[in-house]
Amino acid sequence: MTSSKNISIRDLKLWYKDAQALHGIDLEIEHNKVTAFIGPSGCGKSTLLRCLNRMNDRIPHCRTEGDILIDDKNIYDADIDVVQLRSRVGMVFQKPNPFPKTIYENVAYAPRIHGITSDGPKMDELVEYSLTRAGLWNEVKDKLQEPGTALSGGQQQRLCIARTIAVKPEIILMDEPCSALDPIATAKIEELIDELKKEFTIIIVTHSMQQAARVSDNTAFFYLGKLIEFGDTRDIFTKPKEQQTEDYITGRFG
Amino acid sequence: MSHSMEYNKRLRRRHRADRRFKYYGMAAIAFALAFLAFFFVDIIGKAMPAFKQAYIQVDINYNDQVKDNYNRAITRNYRYLVSRSFLRTLPQKLVENPELLGTTEHTWVLASYRVDQYLKGHDGNGLKSKYRPHVDQMIADGKIELRFNTLFFTHGDSKMAETAGVLAAAVGSILVLLITMAVAVPIGVMTAIYLEEFAPDNRLTQALEVNINNLAAIPSILYGLLGLAIFINIVGVPRSSALAGGLTLALMTLPVIIITTRAALRSIPDSIRDAAYGLGASNLQTVWHHVLPLAFPGILTGSIIGLAQAMGETAPLLIVGMMAYIPEAPGSIFDATTVLPAQIYTWSSESIRAFEERTAAGILVLLTVLLSLNAVAVWLRNRTQKTW
Repeated sequence: MTSSKNISIRDLKLWYKDAQALHGIDLEIEHNKVTAFIGPSGCGKSTLLRCLNRMNDRIPHCRTEGDILIDDKNIYDADIDVVQLRSRVGMVFQKPNPFPKTIYENVAYAPRIHGITSDGPKMDELVEYSLTRAGLWNEVKDKLQEPGTALSGGQQQRLCIARTIAVKPEIILMDEPCSALDPIATAKIEELIDELKKEFTIIIVTHSMQQAARVSDNTAFFYLGKLIEFGDTRDIFTKPKEQQTEDYITGRFG
Repeated sequence: MSHSMEYNKRLRRRHRADRRFKYYGMAAIAFALAFLAFFFVDIIGKAMPAFKQAYIQVDINYNDQVKDNYNRAITRNYRYLVSRSFLRTLPQKLVENPELLGTTEHTWVLASYRVDQYLKGHDGNGLKSKYRPHVDQMIADGKIELRFNTLFFTHGDSKMAETAGVLAAAVGSILVLLITMAVAVPIGVMTAIYLEEFAPDNRLTQALEVNINNLAAIPSILYGLLGLAIFINIVGVPRSSALAGGLTLALMTLPVIIITTRAALRSIPDSIRDAAYGLGASNLQTVWHHVLPLAFPGILTGSIIGLAQAMGETAPLLIVGMMAYIPEAPGSIFDATTVLPAQIYTWSSESIRAFEERTAAGILVLLTVLLSLNAVAVWLRNRTQKTW
């Protein structure tokens, strides 16, 4: 079922200087589903995630080969503008990183630079909408002019999610979004992911197998820069085909 | 506690080492403070007399001989006691106010530096002994007194110690500093932003970085030679001018500003850049909207410290001809100019005793300006610092 809305990764190879980090990854990520990338540290799952919005371009001496097709268009083509690409593929980082500006500004910044909405009542609406979608509106509606950095860690991460969805992307990448959060804040983010997948294609890198099992529809297991197994999350966790996958999810290594 | 004797002994030793280290640090600081205190007490003690200047009450006779010989305006007994700088202005005054001719004015005038030094208890280049009883009598009669020395701040340099002031040098220093700032800060900050945020990391930029770091460590006098070769000999900037000095100091300050700005930019966590790039901000938007506002306090502090260093610099200015006798404050950046440190050096090599206190007072003025600059830097940093 290859629909053009899916993300197709084809024979993707990546090198940091001379060290190869990804060895020919082939992967079909389904539209409006949550896909989890799991695997031990250094397996290349974050690297692959950062290929999808070309954040790796910022790393010196990082070289890529292969194709990533979004809407049948290779994002590594020369005529792709990364600024535009990143407005379609949003990203939430491991450590909450709100801008040291007001809560309002954090959300309004990206729509403003992309010219999605001009300042004024329309922007107020978009800010409220984004914060509501991120489940943060009720907590911050009375303090929109306070710095975003004064919020708690979990709130900061939801602010980062609000900031990302304000641009109305198609895809949201999440790089271990809960690793710096406590269980309650984590639960909130997971609920949010469940809610957001109706609208967005979500790809989440996680170290927590329970989290992958809880939130994702599909799971990809990586080991040493190779995709070992990819499939329906339930299948991966109950009857993995590969020995390495089984060893990892049962905690024998990793 | 179930720890062994051996463990406890070790623990005590570790605490002792801690304490010892603390005492070493405190001793070093006490040592530095003692030097600083000595320096300040010495400079202030030597400079204080320069802020008072002797004035004397005399009769000025505006007779027809004054036009040709200004000494004739004062009777012989007093002539030697009055400042020659003052006497020299009399013929001109008479030309401008012809109605004064034939009158006598009983007034306070600036005393010569010999009287001034005698009054302050210094004997070097002193008053001739035959005048001393006379001066003592005048002091007793209240006809000689010390007043606040406004001339020191309103006059430029002079060969006559009693009228030598810092104005010309201070104006020169300000002009030079403004030129240095206008040239070095924008170029330095832009260079640093480009190298840190835009330039690819390759051999060329690495070579540039090494060279910039080396430039900051080059003896400053070499910058003077560079300035002489480029600005004066090739470009044709007037010698001794504020422009030549300012450009030369800009060369010297550039590496300092580049290095401190790069350090300020590097101290901004990458997570902020990630956040901006992740939202689709362009390179320039990321730097301009997010990185620069956060790095601003550091850049500002670095620039001010670089400029303060330039302000106290003497050696390169010696080469571009700014160590000169400049009695008049410069009217433009092309006029011959001197600067405060050069003025201090010039006075310090004068043989007349009265210049010693002026040297110290000049140092005090320079220190005040530098400390104020640093205070402004700290204030601006605290005001612009964002908390996150």
